[in-house]
Amino acid sequence: MTLAWRITPGQSLLHRCWDGQVVLYNDASGATHLLDQATLDFLHALRDGSVEPAELADPALQDLLRRLQFLYLVQPC
Amino acid sequence: MLTVGTLSPAALRARLAGPGLRLRTGRFTTCLRGDIPSLAAGIAQLYPDYPLLGEQDFADFHLQLQRPCNGRRWLRPQVDLLYDGRRVFRPLPLAQALPMFEWGLNWCVSSRAHRYLIVHAAVLERGGRALVMPAPPGSGKSTLTAALAGRGGWRLLSDELTLIDLDSGLVVPNPRPVSLKNQSIDVIRAYLPQAVLSPAVQDTQKGTVAHMRAPADSVARADECALPGWIVFPQYVAGAATSIEALPRATTFMELAGNSFNYSILGANGFHAMARLIEQVRGFRFRYSALDEALDALPRLDDFAA
Repeated sequence: MTLAWRITPGQSLLHRCWDGQVVLYNDASGATHLLDQATLDFLHALRDGSVEPAELADPALQDLLRRLQFLYLVQPC
Repeated sequence: MLTVGTLSPAALRARLAGPGLRLRTGRFTTCLRGDIPSLAAGIAQLYPDYPLLGEQDFADFHLQLQRPCNGRRWLRPQVDLLYDGRRVFRPLPLAQALPMFEWGLNWCVSSRAHRYLIVHAAVLERGGRALVMPAPPGSGKSTLTAALAGRGGWRLLSDELTLIDLDSGLVVPNPRPVSLKNQSIDVIRAYLPQAVLSPAVQDTQKGTVAHMRAPADSVARADECALPGWIVFPQYVAGAATSIEALPRATTFMELAGNSFNYSILGANGFHAMARLIEQVRGFRFRYSALDEALDALPRLDDFAA
């Protein structure tokens, strides 16, 4: 299991939030993703280094991390 | 100001067959050439109110329609569309020369004019605010657009291409003929008896096609931009009651981006432009079957905002 993750270099997390929904621009792919507020909060926390390694190892987060990796938003480090 | 309608039929044909007709549509000038009678007749019928520029004036797009010189022309004559002297589409039957020009000019704008965020959507204006209607083929978008422009008191800005200025965020008019297809041709003939429609052309890739001349007022006011007002995703459903459903902004954003020609090309600038647009408007899903009810409901969209 990967224990260390980071925001993919080059991602600026450009986004807008409306009514609990988030649209986020993907600098790597040029796509735009429809996310929820919790996912955006997690991305910001990962960018800011405020997610503990133990949290990243939590099985409850693995599916989210894999989906964000598939979108090139996060990557193992 | 000279307009296309000031040219005699012979002078119009001579320009098309010779140096080219420099036609101003909104912010674009097209130099059109083609020695094809149905093209000249169509231009005379659909574009009489448009500004006519001089032979030396700059043109954004250079289009030429010509008959391919091959053996097939004796059996099933065809027409080619050249852009800057190059063939970019497969030839079509000669009877489709006018629709081919319309489709070709749409292609020029949607694939070249990247100082705008371009959405595949009809757009009309009322009270200074723009109603943007993105929709796939078959949704009744053009029929509704023709009715709104012909009888509903809305100013036609475009039937196909909504242009959002990247600097100002305003909707830029690009008034052109309204493309009507299949049953909608007879629907509009009956609903707008005064409308000028080009002859129906059958067996095109879109079925039977005819174009409705844009109202003269829309052409005359082509320099007047509009503030974004509403995004409406229309859907014609036979027999359905008129219904309006307010949409979340993020949903409106994603659906509108999916209908854009150049959102991805513009990158982060496209995201910023789309986000600014979404923050200025309200989005709705709109189902209708009766044009009269639709024309009554759309001016009251603000009443349905969440």
